[in-house]
Amino acid sequence: MQRIFITLLLLLASSGAAALEVVATTSSMGALTRAVGGETVNVDVLTPPDRDAHALEARPTMVRALRDAHLLVAEGADLEVGWLPAALRRAGNPDIQVGATGYFEAAAQVELRGQETADRSQGHVHPAGNPHVHMDPVRMQRVAGALADRLARLDPANADAYWQGASAFRDAVEERLPDWRERLADHPGAILYHKDGNYLLEQFEVPVLGYAEPKPGIPPTARHIRDLVRQLEGGDGVVIHTNFQDGTAPSRLADHLGWPVAEVPLEPAVDAGTREYLDLIEAWVAALERAR
Amino acid sequence: MRRTLIAAAAALAVPPVQAGETVTAGTSFNPEISVILDGVYYRDSADGNGAEWLGQVDGIHAAHGHDHGHAHDHGGPTQGFSLRETEIALSGSIDPYFDAFTYLTVSEGGGVELEEAYLSTRRLPAGLTVKAGRFLSDFGYHNVKHPHQWDFVDQNLAYSNLLGGHGIMDTGVQLAWLTPLPTYLRVGVEALQAENAGKIGQTVDEEAVHETIEADDSNISDGPALKGAWKETFGPRLYTAFAEWSPDLGFDHALQLGTSLAYAPDHQELHGDPDYQSSGEPPVHLLDGSAWTAGLEAVYKYDHPDDYGAGDLTLQAEYLYQVKDLDIAYHQLGGSKIGEKREFTQDGAYLQGVYGFAPRWEAGLRYDVTGLTNEKAIPGSTSEWDASRRTTAMMTFRPSEFSQIRLQAARADLAYDGNRSFNQLYLQYEVSLGSHGAHSF
Repeated sequence: MQRIFITLLLLLASSGAAALEVVATTSSMGALTRAVGGETVNVDVLTPPDRDAHALEARPTMVRALRDAHLLVAEGADLEVGWLPAALRRAGNPDIQVGATGYFEAAAQVELRGQETADRSQGHVHPAGNPHVHMDPVRMQRVAGALADRLARLDPANADAYWQGASAFRDAVEERLPDWRERLADHPGAILYHKDGNYLLEQFEVPVLGYAEPKPGIPPTARHIRDLVRQLEGGDGVVIHTNFQDGTAPSRLADHLGWPVAEVPLEPAVDAGTREYLDLIEAWVAALERAR
Repeated sequence: MRRTLIAAAAALAVPPVQAGETVTAGTSFNPEISVILDGVYYRDSADGNGAEWLGQVDGIHAAHGHDHGHAHDHGGPTQGFSLRETEIALSGSIDPYFDAFTYLTVSEGGGVELEEAYLSTRRLPAGLTVKAGRFLSDFGYHNVKHPHQWDFVDQNLAYSNLLGGHGIMDTGVQLAWLTPLPTYLRVGVEALQAENAGKIGQTVDEEAVHETIEADDSNISDGPALKGAWKETFGPRLYTAFAEWSPDLGFDHALQLGTSLAYAPDHQELHGDPDYQSSGEPPVHLLDGSAWTAGLEAVYKYDHPDDYGAGDLTLQAEYLYQVKDLDIAYHQLGGSKIGEKREFTQDGAYLQGVYGFAPRWEAGLRYDVTGLTNEKAIPGSTSEWDASRRTTAMMTFRPSEFSQIRLQAARADLAYDGNRSFNQLYLQYEVSLGSHGAHSF
């Protein structure tokens, strides 16, 4: 009996020290954390990859996951503003409150695009800037470095492993960049559904020709689709929407313009690592490549 | 007051700056400010009285006619156009240790009411949080939600009759603990002043006793006896405990089950008319004892991957059971009745479902009832009041995340000095201006 008790105690003690518990708000943040943290981190992803990470509620399971986390990795720039503050308040975990070492925001590590005036007559604008930074593999290289530094501060014993992880991630991205650049060179442009792929398109100099949404957060209207078609008729391009965005309007746009339409995910799978993240970018590149 | 707030808001509206650790529009406005505008067009087939009756149906709080009801409730909207409460919410971090929240409401007539003003801890370890100030209690599921977070325009019958129009909104402290169990289990306790408790934890103020004794038509011959029976009580007079549990059902499904208890060790009521012979009211009597309310809650949510809320489903139900266990401390007709028991019991429930039937559109149904158990027990006999019921249907359109238009129709069958049946119609707009609030479960 005593032996079992001691074994249990040892188990408890060792499980506490072995791994850093990290909660990632999205699967792409989870993938990056796994890439940098490797075996020494346990990653729990709060939102499913097949829906808009903005339009969620602070669910009890999220609160529970946040309670015991050593580090919270958020995409940031208000992407999670609809639920994360409420979940953090309930979690009662001082280590990951905003401003603590255990709170990490990807968007805060890179330069943001699309800072807008806080005027909601322009739809669901993000005054802080476009939050979907994970769509730019180059920005993600920088985020990987910053995340490694943060992990190293929390767990100095494994600092070298984190820096190596970040470096391996940077190399993996670097290896793919020339191919992606080549395939998307002189691209005629794409219509997106929402301002979610902008960082990727900008990185590869693919013009954004328009959005299926008339304003961010407002579903497509027949009139807006008509206007877009009139404006872009005769040109080349491709229409892209994510798997949680309704394909009706993008298909109609594609029909009228004679362009292909492609459905792509916005996030890799929940258990993704470096490879799955690169596959996500590859899926977007392949979809963009279909432009006519 | 309002002008000062607007000026304060303008002064704080600096352009967003990128801080080192975090990028958010929210933190560049400290405090975060939002204003919620809420207006209705209202019609009922009860000459405009329907909404008022709904909060005061026959039962243990409206047992002695409605002339001197404990009417705190808002009386309901007038027929036609009216503004409901305009809510001004300010929140932010005070320092690394505390967050603060303030919710003010401005009524159509210009009256300002402080609904919530509390601070909560940021730095307590091990899943602990403490709230202090004036806040909506975590009793039950629906209680903590402000009107703009409700799925229907108005409060359900169970809450409005057993807890009050706002639910339990009081001043005190709360300690909550998110337990380390593998599944979500959050428990907590509160000590509340019950200063303005509409329902349980009421006290009789000394002035009311004096007025009763010294009224012009008073036939009370033993004023000192009434004064002697009255006792001064001190807060906190209301204690609550709550527990909510939620299993991990993946990303699509969520279930939360909970139970709550509110206990008021001191509860006093003064009833009757000193001139009872001519008024037909009962003689003056003072009741003294304790009261409690128990609650059960179940909430299920399905989150469909589609955008703009399409396919999402929410089902929620709560049951409340309330007991006032009182003794007669004074009776105008003399000492023989003193010490006699008066036990009052009333329950209430609602069941509601809301479904996102198209992007940006949702439809909902609610059935609410109070008084399935609705009785007054005196030694040797029990008298009962009838139950009150309502069925409500609503449809909401959200042009964006920050605005909504709602149409709601209800059929009510109330026990309110007899049976009254009527229809209600609401057309409501609700918009939120300013910083982006977070949605709790």
